[in-house]
This record gives sequence, structure tokens and C-alpha cells, in this order.
Amino acid sequence: MAIRTIVRLTPAKPKAGEEFKLQAVAQHPNEPGTRRDAQGNLIPANYISLVEVYFEGEKVAEARPGPSTSANPLYGFKFKAEKPGTFVVKLKDTSGDTGEGSVKLELA
Amino acid sequence: MNRRAFLKTTGAALSAMALAGFPVRAQGLEGEDLANLEKALQEALGKGFKDLTPSNLVKLTMPAIAESGANVPAEVEVNLPGGQVKAIHLFADKNPTPRLVTFMPMKAMPYYATRVRLAETSAIRAVVETADGKLLLASASTRVTVGGCG
Repeated sequence: MAIRTIVRLTPAKPKAGEEFKLQAVAQHPNEPGTRRDAQGNLIPANYISLVEVYFEGEKVAEARPGPSTSANPLYGFKFKAEKPGTFVVKLKDTSGDTGEGSVKLELA
Repeated sequence: MNRRAFLKTTGAALSAMALAGFPVRAQGLEGEDLANLEKALQEALGKGFKDLTPSNLVKLTMPAIAESGANVPAEVEVNLPGGQVKAIHLFADKNPTPRLVTFMPMKAMPYYATRVRLAETSAIRAVVETADGKLLLASASTRVTVGGCG
């Protein structure tokens, strides 16, 4: 099952040269592998270990989160607005599952 | 109790509190665990805690108190031009896996925000690798009421 990913920009329409935030939220339990279920068995680790941000097909940022990321994690980045285009955020977890979300950057 | 006696005792108590408060702050952060941190630093960077330079160019924002360790907002910003920052690492001293995240800004600005799990009250470290090979450090501490790792 693909990881549900939502990407948004703040402000939604930045001016040219202005800084803006890109925030990605994923729907994922991010099990760290240290938690136990109701029967006391360890829940196996399964967390997002790779976050890549692409702008117009070019990789512009990468994060490698460890197991201690919260469930339904948020990843925030800051960019400077130069030209309009499309941001794509790609996620991959330790079980090999992937997710993708995109947002269009329009300049005000 | 008359007014004079009251002032005398409260004054003495206050100054004792002030005296006791300062050495605690000088000892460092709450929830420090340098042995655990050192292992993670060696693993991630091949460097130890003594190789890190505390710097006010790095701004690490953590809440002072988190009710639940399962979801603690963390934000780090480096006051350097984007091209000069190679990577930003976050560590929590007391976590079973202290390394929280490694972020490579590439074309992005040296800023990263996320939400992390903290096992217990812990010191948090932001370690910034600069392009000229320096390792800058910023520390913060978050008090956790309920842990998020177990």
C-alpha cells in the first residue's frame, strides 16, 4: 500500500525571491521497533528512512530519518522562490513501501 | 510571625534557592547521556563529542516540556548561506537510537523541521556539517512526561 503523502507550501503563492516552507505529511505508523503490542510482543520496526524532494525532476533535498520519528510524520523544508514549477516529495520506508506527493509552485 | 521575621526567612530561602539554582545550570542540560550520544556520533560521523564546536549560528528549537514523547516538534535553522551546509544531524541523548535524522539541504535552505519520538526527558543535539569540514553544535533539552518509544 502506498504511503499517503500530502505536500503544501506556506505561503501558498510566494513572491519571487521570497522564502517559503514546504511541508510534507505522511500517513505512516513509523514503528520504531521498541514498542510492544497488547500481548507484550515487540512490534517490528517499520519507519520512513528516506525522504527526497525533487523540483522539476531535479533532486533538491534529502533527509534520512531514523526510527525515532513520530507517527504520521511531518517534514519541513525551506526554499527560496525562483521560478514556478512542481515539487515532488518521495518517501520510502524500511519495508520497501513508497509514497509520493506533489505540489505546484506558483509565484505571486 | 511578624513582618521582620517573615522577610528574614523568605529572604534567606530565596537566596539559598538562587545559590542552589546556578550550579545546576552550569552542570549542563537535563537528560544528558554523553556515553550513549558518543556511540551514535561515532557511528554517524566518525567523530566524538569533543570534536563538536558549540555555535550560535545553529538555532535548535525544542519545546521545554512535552506531554507525550510520541510527537515532539523539532526545528533547526542554520544562519549560514545554503551552499555552506553539507548536512544537519539531530540526536537525542537518551533515545535507544539517538540519531533522529540526517538532512542534506542540497538546493534547499539550511532549515529542517520534523516531529520526533523521545523515550524520556533528554538533551537534544543539532550537529551541522559545514562544507569546510567543521562540525557545529547546538543543544536543547526537553522534559518528557510520557515516553514515546515503548
